[in-house]
Amino acid sequence: MSTATLPTSRATTGPTSAASTARPRWHRFVEPAIVIAAIAVIGMVVGHAPPTWLDAHVKPEVDRLYSWIVHHRQSSVLFTGFFNPLGTALRSLTSATLWVLRALRWPGVLTLVGLVGHRTGGRQAAIVGVATMAGCGVLGLWDHAMISLALMIVSVLVALLVGVPLGIWAGLNDRADRVLRSFLDAAQVLPAFVYLLPAVVLVGIGFPAAVIATAIFAVAPAVRLTAHGLRSVPVVANEVGSSFGCTRRQLLAKVQLPLARRAILLGLNQVIMMAFGIVVIASLIGTGGLGNDVLNGMQKVDVGRAFTAGLAIVLAAIALDRITTGSRAVASVTPRQPRTSAVQRALSAKPWRALAAAIVIAVAAVIGKVTNTREFPSALRINPSRSINDVVRWINDHFRHGVPVVGGTGSFSDFLVIHLLTPLRESFQHAPWWLVIAVIVAIAWVSGGRKLATICTACLVGIAALRVWNLAMDTLSQVLVAVVLAVVIAVPIGVLAGRSDRVERLLRPLLDVAQVMPPFVYLVPVIFLFNVGRVPGVIASVIYAVPPGVRLTSLGLRQVPTGPREAAVSFGATDRQELIKVQLPLALRSVMLGINQTLIMVLSMVVVAGLVGAEALGLETVFGLTKSEIGRGVAGGLAIVLLAIVLDRITQAWGAEKPGQRVTRERP
Amino acid sequence: MRNRYVRVRVRVLVVGALAVVAAACGSSKSTNASSGGPTTAAAGGAVTTAAAAASGATGKAITLAINPWTGSAVDANVAKVVLESKLGTTVNLVEIDENAAWPGLDDGSIDANLEIWPSGHAKDKTTYIDEKKTVEDIGLLGPNAKIGWYVPSFVADADPKLKTWEAFKDPAEAKKFATAESGDQGQFLMGDPSYVSYDQDIINNLKLPLKYVVAGSEAALITAIQQAEKDKKPLLLQFWQPHWLHSKVKLTEIKLPDVTPACDASAAAKDGKYACDYPVDHLYKAASVKLATKNAKAYAFLKKFQLTTEQQNEIAGLADGDAKSAATAAKTWVDKNPDIVKAWIG
Repeated sequence: MSTATLPTSRATTGPTSAASTARPRWHRFVEPAIVIAAIAVIGMVVGHAPPTWLDAHVKPEVDRLYSWIVHHRQSSVLFTGFFNPLGTALRSLTSATLWVLRALRWPGVLTLVGLVGHRTGGRQAAIVGVATMAGCGVLGLWDHAMISLALMIVSVLVALLVGVPLGIWAGLNDRADRVLRSFLDAAQVLPAFVYLLPAVVLVGIGFPAAVIATAIFAVAPAVRLTAHGLRSVPVVANEVGSSFGCTRRQLLAKVQLPLARRAILLGLNQVIMMAFGIVVIASLIGTGGLGNDVLNGMQKVDVGRAFTAGLAIVLAAIALDRITTGSRAVASVTPRQPRTSAVQRALSAKPWRALAAAIVIAVAAVIGKVTNTREFPSALRINPSRSINDVVRWINDHFRHGVPVVGGTGSFSDFLVIHLLTPLRESFQHAPWWLVIAVIVAIAWVSGGRKLATICTACLVGIAALRVWNLAMDTLSQVLVAVVLAVVIAVPIGVLAGRSDRVERLLRPLLDVAQVMPPFVYLVPVIFLFNVGRVPGVIASVIYAVPPGVRLTSLGLRQVPTGPREAAVSFGATDRQELIKVQLPLALRSVMLGINQTLIMVLSMVVVAGLVGAEALGLETVFGLTKSEIGRGVAGGLAIVLLAIVLDRITQAWGAEKPGQRVTRERP
Repeated sequence: MRNRYVRVRVRVLVVGALAVVAAACGSSKSTNASSGGPTTAAAGGAVTTAAAAASGATGKAITLAINPWTGSAVDANVAKVVLESKLGTTVNLVEIDENAAWPGLDDGSIDANLEIWPSGHAKDKTTYIDEKKTVEDIGLLGPNAKIGWYVPSFVADADPKLKTWEAFKDPAEAKKFATAESGDQGQFLMGDPSYVSYDQDIINNLKLPLKYVVAGSEAALITAIQQAEKDKKPLLLQFWQPHWLHSKVKLTEIKLPDVTPACDASAAAKDGKYACDYPVDHLYKAASVKLATKNAKAYAFLKKFQLTTEQQNEIAGLADGDAKSAATAAKTWVDKNPDIVKAWIG
């Protein structure tokens, strides 16, 4: 099998260091070939399937730990001294936030949103913020939106409080970056179902557990993008700072952080978006709010109701996002122009302005009180459920069968199952386990060298030791199909958006909606269109994974320095040449990050896919909550994480060694 | 520069806080308006105490769980109406997953869960009721539930053989139920993996040419039923009574071999030899052991509280099978049935 991978490995340049180019080309393949041959020999000795002695005993151990927690959660000092007070603190904080939001009433909250938006992002942000927030009221879900909003505000604060310092650490320290990255991968991919019930027994039902779960889920982008921002600070800027005698702290505060502001704000944006992504799952543990409306709608297979609540979640998320990041700061086309940050602007408010703002808010709140409405007046409300159901019904009637040429979603689904998903799964599952490991390790070695190969071997053997090898192979086949579909859709759209401001402006709200709309909302129509089984899961993952791919491709193209582009144009490059020979290679790192994120998103949907018939690891994980078989859920969840690390590291290696970074670094 | 920011920040915060207080002190009634809604979430202590004070309650406010199905919403809302109107106890309702409700009962943040399906919670019962003794079984709710194998009625009407399990031994009959996922065999569809399922064992032990496919959730299962109904395509699945879908789609239960003591034994032993129909589930109520001291009147009432299947269906019907309108339906029904209510609180 290793011979089959050799031609491709010759095509890719591999990790070419000065030392290795001095040796003959074939030399580089000796070591991997020996190791892979060894894997094959060992594998053949131990057999076709993972041997029974290869067992980490995760399920029984986790079950025992969980049982200990359940039996000691009122008596152990670990709980009375730490977790119980933490739970109480989080509950009070969230309840207080909710109390404030309710006391302000909708006129007060809307005024507050408008004023904050105006400070951070100008008139546009204020209008968008107020309009989207008001949308929740128009949909008749104001109070539930406030419950969810309170939960989100506290969760995002907790995530930032933890995430930004970690991100700074990771941005300045390579080792921290490496260590943290593994944890972030785990946090982002580890299905919330795994830690939902443990969070409940640790800090209690409702808000506390939901805040913990949401913060775990949403912390990754805060760390990642803060670190990314610090690392993308041009070397020149650092050198100038140092040569003018900056201390390390001054360099961080005055040069690096301000230059990384854009990335950090993007991080905040992503944290908010991700946090809202978990609203529905959080309502499983008793938070109430909009998530409940989605679940209720889904349980009754009432797409209109679920969609309406999903729309309210999206609107609340956009409102919060717009007024915190300030649309001027993020959407600006020329990023390097220094600007005061949103927070700085908010704080530099003149005192009399703050007073005026407070009075206006208070007046609005009192008006709200006098009219005494928790919800919007009924004259201002609409209920789109019925029309949404009509639209969904129409789509179901017309797209499932009898579409000319392609046949319809039903036959597309069958095609995907019979000709792609099943053969792929069979070949992964029927191949000897050591062969699968050998092939993946060979790919890893070619892409990232010995170290990557070692990591991948460890992860794959780990999956076997969790005793879920066959399920993992099933999941792998589905993930690969979904990622390929998502990348094929995302990269071209991202290129378009990166080259045209108009497309970017048009796409941004759509991407926001696709990313924040809880997948639960579109699961039912997707099942109806694509038949219960693996395909609805694949489709739902694609819908969920496309936005980050588009976003990061576009961001990459936009971050390409104007110098090389102008040079190319002045040398007579056509538009297309400029894109293919200059922009894309220079943006490759970012595009690969986009593909990488797409992959992570697909993996984070494995559990949701399990809820619509994908079975495999996703379903195994759901057991952790639904059958209270925590051990089984944790084993499934960990296997997803290990699979994610393998796929993530390999795709990261593809991006890292490409010339993009080198060119930017050599930039004068 | 930095000092100025700090000072301004403090001022902004102070002024903001003042504004909030000013806004809030208009009428304290506003904060507990939520208790009028059908589904007040765990909104925190402030709301609870305010509401209790406003209604002049004698007992401490209690929290009841609503699990995500209509029956559960009916039980909790009827209990809430009676507790609030007759016993002066304010009730908070928390919508929560049935499994996550157990730790809530354990630490007392939920006082009672009025509809537990025993088949899915044997382990929780052992942990919390038998071993830890923090949760108490407070008697049967009344309705019985039954899981079984179903086909849409149009399938059974067209081919009455299919009303008993023997018909599925014939590969040609089974193949009518084939899909892309099941290949050559017939597909047997199971819904939410958390529900009890002996289906794989039944298929193996009765040697039926069927492939067990898990739809993953109740919603997925119902969607598959609606899809089959629309396309008039055969579908074989696990389903149960009572369920609101029966009033919308006609389903026929397939006769499986009768439950024998041997089957009961293998179900308990989980030895994979199960080959019978599903036994009847007797739904029960559970309460936190703290409830008896916290609010004795409410505890006594909840212990006596029972609904028949017919009553539950009647109230669900009033609510149009909708958990959200269960509050109004519960109120209407309680007003109409003073005798039943009297028996609970007498």
